[in-house]
Amino acid sequence: MNNRLWAFLVPIISVIMALLISSVVILLIGQDPIVAYAALFKGAFGSKLAIASVIIKTTPLILTGLAVGFGFRAGLFNIGAEGQMVMGAMIATAFAINVAWMPAVLAIPLTMVVGMAAGAGYAAIAGVLKAKTGAHEVVTTIMLNWIAEYLSSYVVTVPMGVGFGTPKSPEIANSAKLPPLMTVQATELTSGIIVAVIAAVVIYIVLEKTTKGYELKGTGFNPYAAEYGGIKISQNIVLAMAISGALSGLAGTLEVMGVHHRFLGTLSGGKGFDGISIALIGQNNPIGIIFAALLMGSLRTGSNEMQFVGVPKHIILIVQAIIIFLVAADRIVRTILIRKKRVKAS
Amino acid sequence: MRKALVAIFLVMVVVFAMGFKVIMVTDIGGLGDKSFNDGTWEGALIAAKEIGAEAQVIQSYEQADYIPNLTKAAQQADVVFAVGFMMTDALFKVAKQFPNTYFVGIDITPPEGQTLPNVVCYIFKEEQAGFYAGYIGAAMTATGKIGFVGGIPIPPVERFRYGFEAGAKIYSTLHKKKVEVLKGYTNDFEDPKKGKDLTLAQYAQGADIVFLAAGACGNGGIEAAKEKMVALVGSDKLADIIDYYMKNKKGYFAIGVDVDQDYMAPGVVLCSATKGISTAAYYGVKAAWEGTFEGGLQVLGIKEDGAGVSPMKYTKGMVPNSVIAEVAYLTKLVKDGKLVIPDTEDALKAFQVPSITFPF
Repeated sequence: MNNRLWAFLVPIISVIMALLISSVVILLIGQDPIVAYAALFKGAFGSKLAIASVIIKTTPLILTGLAVGFGFRAGLFNIGAEGQMVMGAMIATAFAINVAWMPAVLAIPLTMVVGMAAGAGYAAIAGVLKAKTGAHEVVTTIMLNWIAEYLSSYVVTVPMGVGFGTPKSPEIANSAKLPPLMTVQATELTSGIIVAVIAAVVIYIVLEKTTKGYELKGTGFNPYAAEYGGIKISQNIVLAMAISGALSGLAGTLEVMGVHHRFLGTLSGGKGFDGISIALIGQNNPIGIIFAALLMGSLRTGSNEMQFVGVPKHIILIVQAIIIFLVAADRIVRTILIRKKRVKAS
Repeated sequence: MRKALVAIFLVMVVVFAMGFKVIMVTDIGGLGDKSFNDGTWEGALIAAKEIGAEAQVIQSYEQADYIPNLTKAAQQADVVFAVGFMMTDALFKVAKQFPNTYFVGIDITPPEGQTLPNVVCYIFKEEQAGFYAGYIGAAMTATGKIGFVGGIPIPPVERFRYGFEAGAKIYSTLHKKKVEVLKGYTNDFEDPKKGKDLTLAQYAQGADIVFLAAGACGNGGIEAAKEKMVALVGSDKLADIIDYYMKNKKGYFAIGVDVDQDYMAPGVVLCSATKGISTAAYYGVKAAWEGTFEGGLQVLGIKEDGAGVSPMKYTKGMVPNSVIAEVAYLTKLVKDGKLVIPDTEDALKAFQVPSITFPF
């Protein structure tokens, strides 16, 4: 079997196996796995509200998945998607609060550009540090995450904070809000998903069809060989980090423009880290990442419904963990499959 | 005829009760926070049991879950609980869509100018609970330094701090004991590790009693206190801790928050500054059931059983009787409005300890 088919099969089989293994856990806590999974499915796809919630959750996950996946392709492990997302969202909000005078055609793309630039700039710090000093990006991006987290909780309580309730910034200007695709009760399905999918396609084209993409991948595969072939490594490292950061920044910006309409201190909620597992499940392929994000988004949305039939949401964390484990250790899945085939053949 | 009527009435009551459903939506802290999520759930359960209603809990992963979870809950339940300050905006958005469902917000202040007839919000005079922590902490410290570990500096956390600082100031003025208050925030309500680190840092700066107003982060702070205390005493048994303290008059203590957390480390948690969370949750359900539900904001303090101090089941022996008597007397002054605990930063700055003479 060729590698493409493998890349496609491994995640799917992992999901099925994860659901089977988790059903044992559900049985152990005295619940019926069929009832639980039926609720999971209904909660994710059973109503307009459910589908809207899935898409809302999927949107930022696609982008953080892309951010991490793109980094991986260029040989960088960007753990800083979380911090870049926060910085992107925060600076985009600061911009979008003040653009009431602009028409939406200008305000919407400009806000996105500002958010992406903020994410890119923040990630480029780690890129420059790596290119100039060799400081490993895993360490620097983790450190930058904390700076972003504490800075954002300061910003949202002191200079930008308003009103009672959740620590939050003022609402962004109406012209910078993404138009909703549909509204179900208090839930607005935003058009952010379109932006996220476009981003995935663009990244796919950049990686697969352009010279720059080839250079970036070359840097990832073997930096020494790439350098020997005339590729400027340090430039590419900074560029790859910046693009990765721009994607995370966009994730945060879309959350502001489409979902919350303001900046919240806890806006990222670990989605930057989820990007790591999504990139893994999507095998670092931009199109695969869309589906991986959709999978994660629907599992999470569905798990809320699962609670109504008495199965704790934590089961879904188990499912998630097993999927990641199986995808990461894809040899296990391969071995099982190949053995089955051999048994059949004999 | 009368029998038939009674029978019909009874059936109706039973059917009605069967249909009555209470759903609580937690914030991201979730159940098991040993704090206000658990406290609300406890109160909701007691009330549900009493009236024979069905009760369910739905937990949220992230802020984006609040609206869908509240919506789903409102579709199914008669009374929906939204727990925690962070859910304010979501609660009011959803409640507008479901005018026939009752909503109870715990620790939630209605946004300016927004009151809905189907939403009752309970908040607490945390400063009055924090006052106990500050007063008892100041009385018990051997180093003259007590610490405050807050979660995210949102108003309820800040009110705890105002009360804590005021309580310490009252003790220090009345007894002419110099007490310094250290302050820090974890910027989080979930991760016990952050609470532990900050608590250990304050111990390192010389504090020996730390008040943990940080939700589930506080659980880590209690763990830190326990570790330090056990290292000092050489045993984690309550009797040994009490013996050691009575002999040496020193130790490491934590002060719990929201609900009675004294049991989490007997002898190490000096006391807990409690809020009447389960009381509020209980009244919310009862009011909806009895049809006396009224939308708006309810502020519960010492007087309304909305703020208090744990009974100090394990540590009573260590705290001098005089302190306990003073606390009881001051409680009465607060109840009568003769002692006003500051509830804003400005009030705290302007706070002057009134001349209080204990009648003993």
